Amino acid sequence: MSNLKLNETPVRTSKNFNINNIKLENVNIPKNIKEFHNTNILTQSSKVKIDENTSKCKLTYGLGEILTNQVNEQANKNLKIVIDNKIDEEINVEFLFDNNNLELTDNIEIIANENSKATIILKYTSNNNIEAFHNGIIRLNAKSGADLNIILVNLLNEKSNNFIAIQNALEDNSKVNYTIIDFGGKNSITNYYSNLIGNYSENSLNTIYLGRENQLFDLNYIGELRGEKTKINIEVQGALKDNAKKHFKGTIDFKKGCKNAQGNENEACMLMSDTAKSLALPMLLCSEENVEGNHSTSTGKVGEKELFYIMSRGFNVKEAMKLLVRAKFNKILENIKNEELKNNILYEIDNRLE
Amino acid sequence: MSKTQINEINRNIYDIKNKDEYEFKIKKGLTKEIIEEISKQKDDPEWMKEFRLNALEVYNKLELPTWGPDISELDMNEIATYVRPKTKLNNSWEDVPEDIKQTFDKLGIPEAEKKSLAGVGAQYDSEVVYHSMKEDLIKQGVIYTDMETAVREYPELVKQYFMKCVPVYDHKFVALHGAVWSGGSFVYVPKGVKVEVPLQSYFRLNSPESGQFEHTLIIVEEGASLHFIEGCSAPKYNKVNLHAGCVELYVKDNAYLRYSTIENWSKNMLNLNTKKAIVGKNAKMDWVTGSFGSKISMLYPMSILNGEGAKTEYTGISFAGKGQNLDNGFKVIHNNKNTSSVVNAKSISKNGGKCTYRSLVRINETATNSKSSVSCESLMLDDISISDTIPVNDIRTDEVEFSHEAKIGKISDKAIFYLMSRGLSEEDAKAMIVRGFAYPISKELPVEYAVEMNNLINLELEGVIG
Repeated sequence: MSNLKLNETPVRTSKNFNINNIKLENVNIPKNIKEFHNTNILTQSSKVKIDENTSKCKLTYGLGEILTNQVNEQANKNLKIVIDNKIDEEINVEFLFDNNNLELTDNIEIIANENSKATIILKYTSNNNIEAFHNGIIRLNAKSGADLNIILVNLLNEKSNNFIAIQNALEDNSKVNYTIIDFGGKNSITNYYSNLIGNYSENSLNTIYLGRENQLFDLNYIGELRGEKTKINIEVQGALKDNAKKHFKGTIDFKKGCKNAQGNENEACMLMSDTAKSLALPMLLCSEENVEGNHSTSTGKVGEKELFYIMSRGFNVKEAMKLLVRAKFNKILENIKNEELKNNILYEIDNRLE
Repeated sequence: MSKTQINEINRNIYDIKNKDEYEFKIKKGLTKEIIEEISKQKDDPEWMKEFRLNALEVYNKLELPTWGPDISELDMNEIATYVRPKTKLNNSWEDVPEDIKQTFDKLGIPEAEKKSLAGVGAQYDSEVVYHSMKEDLIKQGVIYTDMETAVREYPELVKQYFMKCVPVYDHKFVALHGAVWSGGSFVYVPKGVKVEVPLQSYFRLNSPESGQFEHTLIIVEEGASLHFIEGCSAPKYNKVNLHAGCVELYVKDNAYLRYSTIENWSKNMLNLNTKKAIVGKNAKMDWVTGSFGSKISMLYPMSILNGEGAKTEYTGISFAGKGQNLDNGFKVIHNNKNTSSVVNAKSISKNGGKCTYRSLVRINETATNSKSSVSCESLMLDDISISDTIPVNDIRTDEVEFSHEAKIGKISDKAIFYLMSRGLSEEDAKAMIVRGFAYPISKELPVEYAVEMNNLINLELEGVIG
């Protein structure tokens, strides 16, 4: 059992605000990672190369030294995905935790070569009643003109620990759309870093999170704009019930030289109980004159008028709540074209709101 | 390509240096002996001496902040924390020594007193040299005096409130303040009394390698109201000066307090000031702040909304030029039902200056049905300046309406085009946009200050559209 201090923000603020990092007590970080066999990789395309020859992770931010080193030294799943062409079919990678596969430290490296295009779905699920441990690093290098759509789905149970560090490098004219569905884990801690080096590169990050019971979400999203006319858009929609807690730390950093860059960040949190808690730090850092940066956050309870309207149409409170949450999440869920996955997520929303 | 040039603040008036003359200047450094000597020089009562020594202990235990601007150049061994000017407290400008009077004349204080103020306090280095208030307010029981007089003449009131709102362990520079405080103003507005015309205190630091640590304590009793204005400036020296003042405001039930500040310290000043207000039931606390001076500023006024229905508004602008790092913002804690806060912060950075908006909005479990709305806008006027926004929003109950929005950018080409299509020249269009940007703040300032602020933001254009 360890006490961990993780997920430092790129710029510190007052210690009393309790948001510069996340401190976790009594988290079980396994010392010797066992094997993990439940990985399914589905791709019908011969245009994608998948092997295990990943390179060592060097992260600009990451969650912290302990977790990064664990992946570098003890990864039990290495996955290198190289995309050379335009691929219409999705690449599906699914990790299922069960009694025989409790620990996963995965090192995923995605290289999207020039003008390539693909959609990759990474899904993490678990059986109920197990205490799973996931510590993963996903690195993505989008070469010039590449167009990547990544969907990351965390449907672990609420007893597990989920740690993910993501690092993207975007070259000229590349485009990366990331969609994160973050529902699982007693602690779900994510570090997301995008480095928009190339001119005209674009990154869009859309997240939905849904917390209940004593779940804790710590989302540390960082976008650094360096190239000219780069764009980043961060959209986060979430709902918290029971004693769930969320820390959202979003940083858009306009570095010197990113002329005509644009950065937008919007975070909205729906509180569904008077004991749920929302902490947010939406940062804008700017060292370049000719840019446009906006951020907005909002927190509040479910609208009583909307609830009343739906209930007046014959729905009970629970059903009305579910509909409202679904409606909030719908815009982001539209990014998912795979109907089976979308239905799976909708089922999970209903199930977790019961 | 044209560039909008906004001149840096003309500091001619503020930079006038008087000869470093004083009646007493404590030796540099911060030791128990120095604190005891300050206490002796100020003829403190025993409880205040003990208070100072305890604060020094707290200071020695606390760490420097691990965030914000780099203040490593501050060496307390190079700062004299107490400088008594060569005059006593006067209630007539005629009795103030000529060179000191001239300084305040140039800053326009006696003139403002005649025209638009109900009372004035003027501090020079560590002591208040002039204090006066209109007769009718005295008759209504209003107390407006320097802190030393308050400690002597109203000990029970001072003991009840002094550093209770801002306790010495809040942070290292509050502890420092507790140990070496000197000067400042004490205001007591009795129940139901409305002070219609503002009171103003002006703080001037003349002595090099020294610090100013004035303490402002204002109590606005139930149903009373007050507008208090604070101004501060200093001439520029080569080595750092330190300002670590403390402002404690008690706004009782149904009372109203507006606290306006025009901060124009010199560019060798480290401004590490602390301001906090406790706001009662259905009371309202308004902060209006213009921050133009200082080399480094770390200033985050705070409202604690303790009473049901308490309200607060913060309206502030920062202007950082060459060599300046202004890390300003606002903190609000909602502790009771139906409370509300509105924040409107703006900043302009140019010529390598850095502006940071840093804030906290905390709505506690007990603050159901509360509302908070935060807006901050930053204008970058060149590509060598920096502008950061670092807001923390901590919401602990579902019965709230909370929103925060921020924008960073340059002067919009569309807006310039629009105004030019209405017949304005490009220069006038740009000038109008920048003044419009600052207008929500300047309209909240007393008129003399609004004019001064507009003069400070003086526009000048070069070149043509290429």
